[in-house]
Amino acid sequence: MGMLRVMSRRGDDRLTWDEQKIQTGDAEAIAAIEEAERIFAQERAKGATAFRIDTGKPVQRIEKFDPTAEQIVLVPRVVGG
Amino acid sequence: MNQTSQLLTALCWIIIALAVSPMLWLIVQPYVRSMSRSERRATDLLRDTLTSEQMRQLLWQGYLEIPSPTKPRRVYRVPRTRGYVQVLENGRTIMRLCLQPIEHLPDADMIVLHKLMIEANEETYLQKANKYMCLD
Repeated sequence: MGMLRVMSRRGDDRLTWDEQKIQTGDAEAIAAIEEAERIFAQERAKGATAFRIDTGKPVQRIEKFDPTAEQIVLVPRVVGG
Repeated sequence: MNQTSQLLTALCWIIIALAVSPMLWLIVQPYVRSMSRSERRATDLLRDTLTSEQMRQLLWQGYLEIPSPTKPRRVYRVPRTRGYVQVLENGRTIMRLCLQPIEHLPDADMIVLHKLMIEANEETYLQKANKYMCLD
C-alpha cells in the first residue's frame, strides 16, 4: 500500500492506493492513484516540496509522483521567518 | 466594616484568579491543543516519521536533534513547540534559524517539516531560513 500525506492546517490529508490492485487493473485502485497524482501535481504547482519515505531507507526529495513509494509527504512552501 | 472586608476579600480573590489564569493556560495549553483533531493527526505523522529514541528525546528533552547529512559535527536542534532551530557545531550553538510554512501547520507537523527538509533538502533549507548568528 502506498500513501500520500499532504500537510495542512487540518493535520495531514491522506490518500492511499494499492499498487498490486493497480497492476490487476482494479478501477477503484486506478482512480485512487490518479487522484493522488492530481493532488501531487496541484500541491507541487503551489510550491510544496515532496519527500519519499520508505522504511529503513533515508528520506528522499522527489520531483515526480512515484506510485511505488511507501509514503509520500508533501510539505507546503516555506519562507524565512 | 464587615461588608467592606468581604468586598476586599472578594476583590483579592479576583485579582489572584486573574494573575494565575495566564500561567495556568500556559501549562494546560499544550494538552488542550494535543486533543484537537489536527494535532492528533499531526502527532500520528510524527510518530510514523520518528524512531522511538527520537520520540523519547522530544518528550523528555523538549527538542529533537537531527544530525546534518553533510557536516559531521553539525546538529540541528528542533524545539517541540514553535521557535528557533538551533544549529550546533561541536556542541556549541553557532546560529539560530527561523523558517515557517506559508500555511499554518500543527506543532507536530512543524517538527516533521524540519526533519524532512534537513535530511533530504539541507541546502534549500539553509538558503530559505533566516539566520541569526551567535557570537561569543
